[in-house]
Amino acid sequence: MTTFYGLPNDHAFWHWPTLIHFVLVGLAGGMALLAAIRAWHDDDHSRLFALTALILIVMDFATLWLESSARFRLTHIWLFLSFRPTAYIWWGAMGLTVSAVMAFLISFKFGPKRLWGSIMAVSATIILLYPGLALAANSARPLWTPLLLAFFPLTSLLIVLGIGQFKWDWAKPYFLSLSVLSAVLGVMYLVGLAFGGLEAKEALKHFWKEGGIFYLIALLLMLLSPALLKRFPALAGLMAVVGAILARSLIIEIGQYQGLGF
Amino acid sequence: MARLAMAIDLAACVGCAACAVACKLENEVPAGDHRLWIRTTESGIFPDLTVEFRPEQCLHCENPPCVPVCPTGATYQTQEGIVLIDPEKCIACGACVAACPYDARFFHEDGYVSKCSFCEHRLKDGRLPACVETCPTLCRSFGDLDDPNSDISIALKEADRIDVLRPEQGTGPKLFYLNSPKKYGLNQEVAK
Repeated sequence: MTTFYGLPNDHAFWHWPTLIHFVLVGLAGGMALLAAIRAWHDDDHSRLFALTALILIVMDFATLWLESSARFRLTHIWLFLSFRPTAYIWWGAMGLTVSAVMAFLISFKFGPKRLWGSIMAVSATIILLYPGLALAANSARPLWTPLLLAFFPLTSLLIVLGIGQFKWDWAKPYFLSLSVLSAVLGVMYLVGLAFGGLEAKEALKHFWKEGGIFYLIALLLMLLSPALLKRFPALAGLMAVVGAILARSLIIEIGQYQGLGF
Repeated sequence: MARLAMAIDLAACVGCAACAVACKLENEVPAGDHRLWIRTTESGIFPDLTVEFRPEQCLHCENPPCVPVCPTGATYQTQEGIVLIDPEKCIACGACVAACPYDARFFHEDGYVSKCSFCEHRLKDGRLPACVETCPTLCRSFGDLDDPNSDISIALKEADRIDVLRPEQGTGPKLFYLNSPKKYGLNQEVAK
């Protein structure tokens, strides 16, 4: 039996605003990447994509600022005055800031669109990689495995293209591949934990107990969405978006479990 | 340069929590938050029972995982090896909280992350950390690991058994547990 005088700080530290942040970051990164590709091809649609990315980035920064307990201390300025390449949040902040500037320039037709597109392709890739990195970097938390480095960028793009199913015919083949790939990675995540060490197995039990059924539903939604793509593209998109957001949120929220091995 | 560390003799600790109270008062830790807590573990079956009182806090790791992930440099390691937080730079993003394998950090109500600082403000005045000074059984030793005559070096030399928490994490904790009363030491659950 174990009891405590005082308590270890083992409660959840990232709450629902962080889940929203990770969705907005995924959307912003995906939209910025699409805008960058369109800008390369000198497509005028790039302006709309870039403007959407800019709005999403502003919304994301606002969410972060509102949820931060340091919001009135103005310490966030240090994010932009520091050079901290070992910190994933620094990369996230830089990716979002550079993308916002490029998106602004593209949207409002300032300067060479192709150059801005090239820069934004890099910054958008950083944004897409950032959420997975933010989790996988914490090696002490067994539910945040290195596989998330691939799962999060893919599901970010899936969310963007899932929303796009309401309108974009060109995105269908990409959407199909992404939804299947995401579901497969989602299954591999569970398999990886099941065949991992003692700590991983213990973590999997915890994950299953806390949200296993919901996770399976999320995987099913992603896996089944391509079946509806031809006849009901909007519904297929919606299913994939809900599935991806649900799976990501469960991993973030339940993954804060440390499963202390002592 | 000194390499400051702490050791706690678990065979001498009686779980009185004087250290936890002293820490709370010295550092004005808000109600509900803890820089230091005592884990009491009962194991075995009568008459072969063991009770272990284990105070836990920041371990001021040699390779602290919380330092590189801090995006503003608010969390840093001093030359003496103490891991500190500069509240003026902290944005309370929680990256360090996520990175800490020991759950040592918490969000202070004033909008920054906080944890044990080895009472750095007292060290500057040549005093010991409040928990060390307060302990009635003298189970805590503190000092320079590189000085063979320091309290901690002597305590480590005289200990029958030395453990650190989660050694597999490779963080190089500088909080040592001496003479654990558990039969297999601190890591028995992992060993199982």
